[in-house]
Amino acid sequence: MTEPHPRHRIRLAMAALLAIGISGLPSAAVAELSEADFLSRVRRLTFEGRRAGEGYFSPDGKKLVFQSERHQGNPFYQIYLLDLETGETSLVSPGPGKTTCPFIRPGSGDVLFGSTHHDPRSEEYQRAELEARASGQERRYAWDYDPEMEIWVAAADGGGLTRLTDERGYDAEGSYSPDGEWIVFASTREAFQRELSEEEAKILEINPAYFGEIYIMRADGSEQRRLTDAPGYDGGPFFSADGSKIVWRRFDEEGLIADVWTMSSDGSNQRQITDFGSMSWAPYLHPSGEYIFFASNKHGFANFEVFIVDADGRKEPVRVTYTDGFDGLPVPSPDGRRLAWTSTRHGGEGGQLYFADWNHESALAALAAAADRSSAN
Amino acid sequence: MRQLLEFAAAPAILLILAVPAAADTAALERHVDRLAAEELEGRLTGTGGERAAAEYLAAELEQLGAKPLPGQSGYLIPFEFTAGTSDDGSTLALAWDSGGHEWTGVESIQALSFSDNGSVSGGVVFAGYGLVVPESQDFGYDSYATLDVEDKIVVVLRYFPEDLDQESRSKLARYSGLRYKALQARERGARALVVVSGPRSPNAGEIIPMAFDTAVAGSGIVAASISGAVAERLFEQVPDKTLEQAQAALDDGNPHVTGFEIAGVELTLDVKVERETRTGFNVAGILAGNDAQTADKPYVIVGAHYDHLGRGDSGNSLAKQEEAGGVHHGADDNASGAAAVLAAGVRLAGTEHRRHVVLAFWSGEELGLLGSSAFVNGAKSEPTLDPGRVAGYLNMDMVGRMRDNRLTVQAIGSSSAWPILIERSNVPVGFDLQTIDDPYLPTDSTAFNSAGVPTLNLFTGSHEDYHRPSDTADKINYEDLDRVARFSALIARRLADLEEAPDFVKVAPRTDQGGGRDTLRAFTGTIPDYTTEVEGLRLSGVIEGGPAAEGGLLEGDVITEFAGQKIANIYDYTYALDVVKVGEPVKVVFLRGDERHEIEIVPRARD
Repeated sequence: MTEPHPRHRIRLAMAALLAIGISGLPSAAVAELSEADFLSRVRRLTFEGRRAGEGYFSPDGKKLVFQSERHQGNPFYQIYLLDLETGETSLVSPGPGKTTCPFIRPGSGDVLFGSTHHDPRSEEYQRAELEARASGQERRYAWDYDPEMEIWVAAADGGGLTRLTDERGYDAEGSYSPDGEWIVFASTREAFQRELSEEEAKILEINPAYFGEIYIMRADGSEQRRLTDAPGYDGGPFFSADGSKIVWRRFDEEGLIADVWTMSSDGSNQRQITDFGSMSWAPYLHPSGEYIFFASNKHGFANFEVFIVDADGRKEPVRVTYTDGFDGLPVPSPDGRRLAWTSTRHGGEGGQLYFADWNHESALAALAAAADRSSAN
Repeated sequence: MRQLLEFAAAPAILLILAVPAAADTAALERHVDRLAAEELEGRLTGTGGERAAAEYLAAELEQLGAKPLPGQSGYLIPFEFTAGTSDDGSTLALAWDSGGHEWTGVESIQALSFSDNGSVSGGVVFAGYGLVVPESQDFGYDSYATLDVEDKIVVVLRYFPEDLDQESRSKLARYSGLRYKALQARERGARALVVVSGPRSPNAGEIIPMAFDTAVAGSGIVAASISGAVAERLFEQVPDKTLEQAQAALDDGNPHVTGFEIAGVELTLDVKVERETRTGFNVAGILAGNDAQTADKPYVIVGAHYDHLGRGDSGNSLAKQEEAGGVHHGADDNASGAAAVLAAGVRLAGTEHRRHVVLAFWSGEELGLLGSSAFVNGAKSEPTLDPGRVAGYLNMDMVGRMRDNRLTVQAIGSSSAWPILIERSNVPVGFDLQTIDDPYLPTDSTAFNSAGVPTLNLFTGSHEDYHRPSDTADKINYEDLDRVARFSALIARRLADLEEAPDFVKVAPRTDQGGGRDTLRAFTGTIPDYTTEVEGLRLSGVIEGGPAAEGGLLEGDVITEFAGQKIANIYDYTYALDVVKVGEPVKVVFLRGDERHEIEIVPRARD
């Protein structure tokens, strides 16, 4: 290769300077952002019980369904419905066992959730957990992907409890399509449906979520089919507001790195949105469809913060929360003007639900100003 | 947790409709304007200003439909208190073989405010600093270990040894309060306690001012303070040392340096304390419950103190020099709380509630929780108002200066019922709540906590006008005050509709707090922010011209280290203050934003 023409070299250097200057401007502006640019009237929503989290809005935005450890005699989460106008809360799940991941059905107001209450050993597990806590040997919180976990649906008052899945393996993390006719969910059923290799059997012992894949079914539990097929835990799927897309998170095989993905509701067009190389999970699309909320521990293994990223992942994600402690599981209201999430910002181990007004315009402006992902790395 | 909170049948939506959200800031403004008006002269308990405020509140209670409490003919409920103490001509005489001397006049001899009245004579024992550290503290120090003071007159030094290392200072400072020293002398059979500020101490040789003390009775012993001159005459009868030498020998804190009898001297002490008894007025009314069975159910109290500091003469004013003596308006402290109780009362009067709700306005809070304590103690003899039959007490003290939507809810550790009640009540109002478990607060809820009643206190935070004439009505945030009133009405309503009264949880009091007020002798001029439980001590202001201000501290700074001690909270700070030396620079480490700073400030003497 011949020596480049000197002028050419100078032009290159100038171009590089210009590029730095141009991309430097918006990133300088981004650096000055703070939580107050996106969130106002931040407040803690729940105070009762050791933990609460996973709050999801009803389609009219007047109710929030969530999980909380506050049921007498049961140390595990139960499902509650909160009326955001009156402050009333009511129990939806039956009481015994472990429950998780509720979602309100558009149209009917029914509530789906994962539950193990049908497992005859439920009360035994509750007693054991209570005793462990009383003796001070509380294990650090870990979800154990109980293969007895199935998806159930009940009316808002807890009546008409109906089982929707019936496969050995963890079935949970369900959410409805906007028309209320479909449910996307996560399941580890594959691990129990075929012969596992010796290697896979070992993985099932240590990291059962490895077998998690995304499935879809009709609201009555029929027509169950699988949408993803990749090693590592796929979970936490939610529809976009127009029902065309599904957003979810995919862990790598070791279960340490996770990223946000999107696909069409038939499972096609799978696309990776984030690539922090950290744990980026709990995605949820803003109702405008313009951007995705998610949480990531990019800034330290135990320091989860809420981010937003444009729906196609073309730009660098923008950080939303800046407060010490865990901030995750962000969910926007149907009108896109409020945000519910789970945080430990009050101090202490247990997360509680938080609530704030959401500044959609600031979010759009910050995303527009964000650097292109290709130029950032 | 017990499932205490099964609600009555009342549909939730009715509850919200019945506690209207519509703001009524005009009424709140009228209440605060009236209570904080110049002509009410700062509403000092026992004065005409207090009385006028009480009449105003009584008229408002009647207007909103509350009735006088059972057994009361009106809304005003009187209580007696000691408004002040003065020396009424105490004398001290020394007599020895060859002569003697007698002193009168408060420049030489003055009663301690808690002294009994009486004349006593006896031999004299010098008992060092008169300090006794309880054995449980695992720190051997007992000024009386080798002394027999039975029927003697004990002479002690004020404060605690001057040259101690910091750890020893922190141990001894806690037991150096004058009341505590008097108690130790009394327990050992002494006839009287005489205190002198030693020549090596701050305020050397000065008479101890008669501290404001509202106790109606004395402390069971004659106690007085003498000037350095008097003490020196006494020490002339000690053959081998002066007072200064005696103090110097004690000041390194060696517990084996003992006091001694001053042989051949007879001391006669005649102490006369004049206690002025006055009458203050609590104001209270009751909104009867709508359930036929509520007469049998514990009732709910929503209350706030309405008294303030008058012109700031009673010792707890923070007025700057040029504003001293002015009317302390007390708009936030606590016309705001009183106005919020009235506004909550209007909401509650217009709604059904199963239990009785009492609306209460306390006086004498600024003088030491006098009114609420009198109510709690007096109520025991009145069957309807037995504290055991109070389901819960909701207090509001300083709720008119909300910033950034932040409201502090204190004392939630006092019942397991509070978290869900607060959660449900806050959802419609939407405050950024800071919750604090500790129920031992410098406000009226503490009187109820002592009687085993679950309490809550609402507070919007301290500020630079706290306890100064500049705490005026124009600085109140009325819109948010109305939201606080609505929040309190929602809590009261939910409390009143509970089937079962909340349980009471006794929170263990912190034992590592500093001694009494009279051991706190270092003045730094900081105004702590009591609303945060952040790591460190956040300042809600600094007193102009005070040591902190001169050192460069500002509102919002967070002190993390003071005089070499880590400061995690207000208790650590109080504790650290105990042990700093007046006039000696101390290092202060603080955060301003994320930046760490280090300065020195020089504490001054507090008298």
